[in-house]
Order: sequence, then C-alpha cells, then structure tokens
Amino acid sequence: MTPHDWYIENRAAYVARALQPREERLFADHLVRCEECTREVATLQRDLGPLPMAVAPAAPRPGLSHQLAEGVLRRRTRWPQAASAIAAAAAILLAVGLGVRERRALSAAELAVSDRDRQLAALRDTLSIMRQAQHIVQRDIAIGGRKGGLVIFDDPVSHRWSVVLHGLPRAPADSVYQFWFITENGMVRSVELRFDDGRPAFATVGMPNAPGAVMGAAVTVEAAANRTAEPSGPMLAHIQF
Amino acid sequence: MAPPPSSRPSPEAGRTRAPLALAGQTSLRDRLVARDQRALVELIEVASPWLLGLTQSMLRDQDEAEEVVLEVFRIAWDRVGSLGGEHEGLMPWLLRIARNRAIDRLRRRGRWRRKAERAEALGGLGPATAQFQEPDESATPGWHVHEAVHAALQSLPDEQREVVRLAYFGGFTHSEIAKELGIPMGTVKTRLRLAFDKLRVTLASIQDWVG
Repeated sequence: MTPHDWYIENRAAYVARALQPREERLFADHLVRCEECTREVATLQRDLGPLPMAVAPAAPRPGLSHQLAEGVLRRRTRWPQAASAIAAAAAILLAVGLGVRERRALSAAELAVSDRDRQLAALRDTLSIMRQAQHIVQRDIAIGGRKGGLVIFDDPVSHRWSVVLHGLPRAPADSVYQFWFITENGMVRSVELRFDDGRPAFATVGMPNAPGAVMGAAVTVEAAANRTAEPSGPMLAHIQF
Repeated sequence: MAPPPSSRPSPEAGRTRAPLALAGQTSLRDRLVARDQRALVELIEVASPWLLGLTQSMLRDQDEAEEVVLEVFRIAWDRVGSLGGEHEGLMPWLLRIARNRAIDRLRRRGRWRRKAERAEALGGLGPATAQFQEPDESATPGWHVHEAVHAALQSLPDEQREVVRLAYFGGFTHSEIAKELGIPMGTVKTRLRLAFDKLRVTLASIQDWVG
C-alpha cells in the first residue's frame, strides 16, 4: 500500500466529512498537490450534489424570507477586524505609494507623466478593492524565523482579489513566492508576489479563466524557472473557503 | 423508513425537468451575478425550505439552522460569480455550503452529543441525524428531486444507508460511526464508499432545478 492509497481510500470519507479533523487537514493539503485526487473529489461532490435533498423541506416561519433578504442586502461588514485590516493595508499602500512618488521625484525628468498616473490609478484601484471588500482572509506565515502573513481582500462587486503578502524575507535565490487559486478542478497558477526592499508584495487578481469554482488559495515557494501547472515547492499558506 | 409510495413519479422524472424558470429568459444565476436583488429574493423563496430542512435536521436547533441559512445566502450573494458554470448547480452548491457549515457547528459544540443522547434516552429519533422521513410538502418546488434522491437512498442496503445517514447527514466521523454501530472502522469506510459509488450513478444525472 502506497501513501497515496490512503488518499484514494478516503476520498469518499473526505466528501462526507467523516475524517477526523487532523485527517481532514492532511487530505486538504494533499489536494493542493494532487490533480487526480482534486479531480476525483470534485467529481464525487458534483455527482452527489443533490444528496442533501433527501432530507424533507421545512417551511420557513412567517417573515423569515424577508429577514434573510434583509440580512444579506442590508448588512454592514461582519468582520470586526476588517476595519483595522483595511486601515493597516491602506497605510502600507500609502507608504508604498509615497515611496514610489519619492523615487519618482528624484528622477522625475526621466519618467513620463502617464507612468505616474498609471501607478496612482493602480493604487486607487487596489484601495477601492480593499474598501469594498466583504471578505478578508488572513493567514499567518512563518518562514526562516520571520513571521508574516497573507491577506486576501475579496471584492464581490468586481470579482477581484487584492492579495498582500507581508513580513517575509525575500524569496530564496532563483525562487519566487507564487500565488495559486484552488479550484474544484485543481490548482491554477496566478501571480508571482515579489518583495521590494522588504516592503509587502501587492497584487490585484481577477478570478481565473479556467473552469471550476474557486475553492481557496495558496502560496508556495517555486523555482523561478518552474512554470509548471502544478505547485512543486514548499507550501506556505493553504486556504480553503 | 417508509419506501416512496408507488403512485409517485419515478426517479427518472427528476432528470428530465427543465431548471426552474424564475424570471423571463435569464437564468437565476446570471441575474444573481448581475446583482439583481429580486433574484436573491426569488432564490431565498425557492431554496430556503430545503436549506432549512437540511440544517434543522442536522443541528436540531431552529435558531442555529436559520443562522446557517443566512450565512449560506450571504456567501451565495458574494460568491455566485465564482461558481463554475457547468460544474456544479446552484442548488447543490448552496446545499453543500449549508451542510459543511452545519457540520462545522456540530463539531464546535459539545451539546449536540448531549441532545442526541437525551433524545435517544427518551426513545426519540436517536442521534441528531436526518431520517429521510416522508414529508408533506409535496407542493414545494424541487419536490421531484427529493423523490429521486429519496428513492436512491432507499435502494441502498440498510447497513450502507445507515452509514451515509450518520456520516453525511450527522457529521459523525469514521471512528464515531464505528463506535456507534459496533463495527470495525474499515467496515465503515467500505460501506460508505460502496454507498457513494451507487448513489453517484443514480444522482449524477439529476438536473439542477434552480437555474
């Protein structure tokens, strides 16, 4: 029996949520790396999709439908940490922006106005995503004795994410921090996150064009030359929604 | 568990019906993606009974069940744009989120076990799991799918159906089921796998009935 056989044997249990929490995490981590298991699990989930409808419907109490609609449409941000996270991210962005402006001032003659406008427009765009974000996901990352983290701001209006990787050392030589989407059909390579003089790495990403619902995101350290479709380097963060 | 009455349509009926047309030509999903608030209201109307039925049967707590259903609709409203076009139907997606949220809550709380034990002691329904009882909500949209799924479950051998009931609808882990039923864990895994292999063949072709 190979180690992979355990995952094959437990695909049904993973879909049923019958694994122990520790096993479930182990399986989820495996899915990030295993295209076959990711595909099989997604197919099983899809095939069994109607199964919960074996349970009889329950009539909502009077007024519940209205309350639900109100609860969805009239909510304020539900995450207490959202405001501080946005403020922190905005402060970082402004600092980066000011740094960019300062550098540009030194060599203003060499820079076209359009470049500066583009930079500022990008900053404004990133800030708008953070301001509109209705979901903010944070994960701590520890690497080489440094503690940092990954923050994802999800803007449901434009269906884009603002991704911030902070507090980490530069990627090892000939390596990059690689951001991935986890979809029901496997991993989809997204952007490389590059640190500039220790400043946080920012990226704005749209949803992948590949078919399959986005189920999460991951960050790995990949060899710069590695442009394969699947991650092969160490996993720094793995988030499943 | 009573078998479905023979006068009911066969499970095949669920596969041939068109997705629910809720407003004109545009699909409900497209309207949700376009941030049409009326589409959200329509989705709530049509999906709530099924989500509530599932979450209430799993959580045995109406308030908590309603909280989960609200969470599901919030997620749906926020994330429907990322739902894979042909890979998962809208209703299965909502049900999957609801079931996962309900299981998360079951595992976070300890009292569900106490409730289950109390119900068992009182000669109730046993562990807090769905019983697939015959409801009297046959006018509810989606009823034909319920019939098809119900029939598929009924066709399983009793021992496989019991494992599905405890694992899929009860949030029990392998080891908890093994302990509950007094059988080896390997047997639990095998029964679950065999049950899913049969169910997926029957259920895979059921169309999503919420466009």
